[in-house]
Amino acid sequence: MSDGLQQVPQRNQVDAYRRHFMAAVTGAATLATLAPGVILREASAATRPDVTARPPEQPATSVVRWGMLIDTARLGDGGAAMVAACRREHGWGHDPRASPEQQPQWVRTVRVTDKLTQHSFTLPVMCQHCEHPPCVDVCPTGASMKRADGIVQVNKHICIGCRYCMMACPYKARSFVHEPLTDQRPHSPRGMGTVESCNLCVHRIDTGRIPACAEAAPQAVIFGDLNDPDSRISQAVQALGGTQIRADLDLNTGVRYLNI
Amino acid sequence: MMLKLFNPPVSGGRLLAALLLAGLLAACDAAVPQPELGVARAKADQCVEPTGDMRRNHMQYLLTHRDETVIEGIRTTQHSLVECVNCHVAPVRADGSAVHYPDKDHFCASCHTYAGVKIDCFQCHADRPQVMDNPDYPHPLSANRYHQLASGGGTTVSLSDMLAVSGMGSGSTAGEVRP
Amino acid sequence: MSNTAIVYREVGEGRGFYLLLVLFGAVVAMGALAFFHLEHEGHHVTGMNNQIVWGLPHVFAIFLIVAASGALNVGSIGTVFRKPLYQPMGRLSALVAMALLLGGLVVLVLDLGHPDRLIVAMTHYNFKSIFAWNIILYNGFLALAGFYLWTMMDRQLKALYPYAGFAAFSWRLILTMGTGSIFGFLVVRQFYDSAIMAPLFIAMSFSFGLAVFILVLYAGFAWTRRPLGDVVLNRLRYLLAVFIGAALFLELMRHLANLYVTRRHGVEQFILSDGGIYTQLFWVGQVFLGALVPLSLIFCRRLVGNRLSLLVACVLVILGGFAQLYVILIGGQAYPLELFPGATVESTFFDGQISRYAPTVWEWMLGLGGVGISLLLVTVGVRVLRFLPVSLADEVLDSDDS
Repeated sequence: MSDGLQQVPQRNQVDAYRRHFMAAVTGAATLATLAPGVILREASAATRPDVTARPPEQPATSVVRWGMLIDTARLGDGGAAMVAACRREHGWGHDPRASPEQQPQWVRTVRVTDKLTQHSFTLPVMCQHCEHPPCVDVCPTGASMKRADGIVQVNKHICIGCRYCMMACPYKARSFVHEPLTDQRPHSPRGMGTVESCNLCVHRIDTGRIPACAEAAPQAVIFGDLNDPDSRISQAVQALGGTQIRADLDLNTGVRYLNI
Repeated sequence: MMLKLFNPPVSGGRLLAALLLAGLLAACDAAVPQPELGVARAKADQCVEPTGDMRRNHMQYLLTHRDETVIEGIRTTQHSLVECVNCHVAPVRADGSAVHYPDKDHFCASCHTYAGVKIDCFQCHADRPQVMDNPDYPHPLSANRYHQLASGGGTTVSLSDMLAVSGMGSGSTAGEVRP
Repeated sequence: MSNTAIVYREVGEGRGFYLLLVLFGAVVAMGALAFFHLEHEGHHVTGMNNQIVWGLPHVFAIFLIVAASGALNVGSIGTVFRKPLYQPMGRLSALVAMALLLGGLVVLVLDLGHPDRLIVAMTHYNFKSIFAWNIILYNGFLALAGFYLWTMMDRQLKALYPYAGFAAFSWRLILTMGTGSIFGFLVVRQFYDSAIMAPLFIAMSFSFGLAVFILVLYAGFAWTRRPLGDVVLNRLRYLLAVFIGAALFLELMRHLANLYVTRRHGVEQFILSDGGIYTQLFWVGQVFLGALVPLSLIFCRRLVGNRLSLLVACVLVILGGFAQLYVILIGGQAYPLELFPGATVESTFFDGQISRYAPTVWEWMLGLGGVGISLLLVTVGVRVLRFLPVSLADEVLDSDDS
């Protein structure tokens, strides 16, 4: 079979990818193993944090664009730890009255199997933080919004709960809260009758911390500023690429994947 | 086919209406609960704005702040609802029961009930500090910890790390909690 | 003009009138009860979920809104296309249109997660959203239909009648285009993403709206013992056939186009053959009962001039319309999104699965409540103002036009 013939070079390619990713994750420590084209500057990658705190009175700007690179091959659990961290951080997933179909899920692990080749992998899927988000286009009130730094989120203060954004999202990233809630996480308000989704832990980013899911899988996830050519994530995507889910839709997602 | 409707005499109708109105007024008068302002008075000198200003304009401060925070990402704490709740609402009553906005003795509800104001803040926002698994949690204002952190105090502690929502046993990471 | 001889009169205060008020009022009260229950409990008491985000209430709402713009057609044919035969029905046409739209909007609004924020929807507009445009279109429709009605009922505004009619007609076409585009502009939903949704919804509105109008007209005349001639009924009868055919044709084109596109084979196979309830509703409800049977009832030679056959045809068109909207709305959502083309996906969030949906009694009550509001408004309308002609007998009508 032709698949068999392709297997060896593919395997090598995968290994090369993994080496590159390792380099990107660990910074300059493995610089020696990098291919000539991959340059990770020691100073920037090793010592500079991925997110620096803005002064609280300063608004987010379009100078940065937050993004995330997830290497599914290095996840190990397909992203289950990331999902658990998100649940803990935002307090979703145990709304008492909702049926399983009504239970919100900001991020879930999806197992993908090619129909022909049976090649299979698992990846975490959440809001992909598109540059051109369909959910923002369709929202009648502007509640579904993209922040200056590329974070797509719901402004629940003006969300009327029409669910049109859920119809429009290609990634099924949005959920609707089907019941009254109490004792929410103070930094992550969620409530009945509004739509919600991954907001890249906007409360963490604004105070100089990386999202909870990225924190939970440091071996496989790089979070950072895609607009900064010196950031770890920019170096990594430049060297290794970063596949978009449904790239055909041309949405230019902020969440990118390796090995899918 | 024509149907003659019951047509009450005018005076009877008026009498009925007057009686109903009187009853309603009496009932309303009896049911007005006085707002519990003790908590607010006790902390008035520590509040983010002068008392009179807060009484009149707190909603404006909150409305402006909420848009600045959600849309622009400005995270100052002076007019943050989370801070109001942290300072003014005790997580539990003296008897250990939880206090929520629908209860008349919730700080915000006590006055809003009196003034007949309906808000939907607490449909989404937590209506009390989230410290159920940590009964020794000191008051954030008196401990001055959260304010310090928010103004760039430099510790790694944040409120979110100390909190856990019921049903999430592993809500806080042990290493980060410093009660 | 021919309708100078037409006399309009309110319906009397008969027992039937109060019976209808009580009946429709009870239905509206049921809808109100459902609304308060939903408002208090949240949407977990409905069958809607994070996969089927729009459910039965939306089927009702969109049916009423689509039918509303169609109901105005009868008036438009009289005004814009200058057919004197239709002009005496113009007032009722505008009334039914406004009543249907209000009923539909009420359901749509009361199903929102935050109906209390209706004011937000009226003050915050995202002009890239077709939904936001629809809010403007609905309000404009009510205003224009109201003004059109005014020009028909007030002699002093007679000069404006043709312009009002033309404006209302244009607006209603744009409105239905907008309603269709709510689905047509959903790029990632394979069953929707198509410009043909706009003309399809227009054809559907012609058909549903006329069916509702004929039933209201017939009931209004029969229950107040006013003469209704065969000329007018037969004209409406064949007009309905044309509209049914147009809707059927556009639906056929839509499915043929989808069947030509490989990546849409999955969803077409689901709707047309494997979809269980959706497949049955499509073939039995929409195509057979909603189109083929009514067309037979209209064209069967033995039934020419048979009023019962026309009324049955209208009822079937309405039921078929509900089936069609159910298939489009719920069926289109039940088929999973394609996250990775050419691969199967599975997750705890029901990726790659056909979504299940079973409407609860609250959704039925809310949806029917909207129908109740429409019928209640029409009933009260014909009682308090002069919407219904005293007679539409053949000899009253000037039918020598086309």
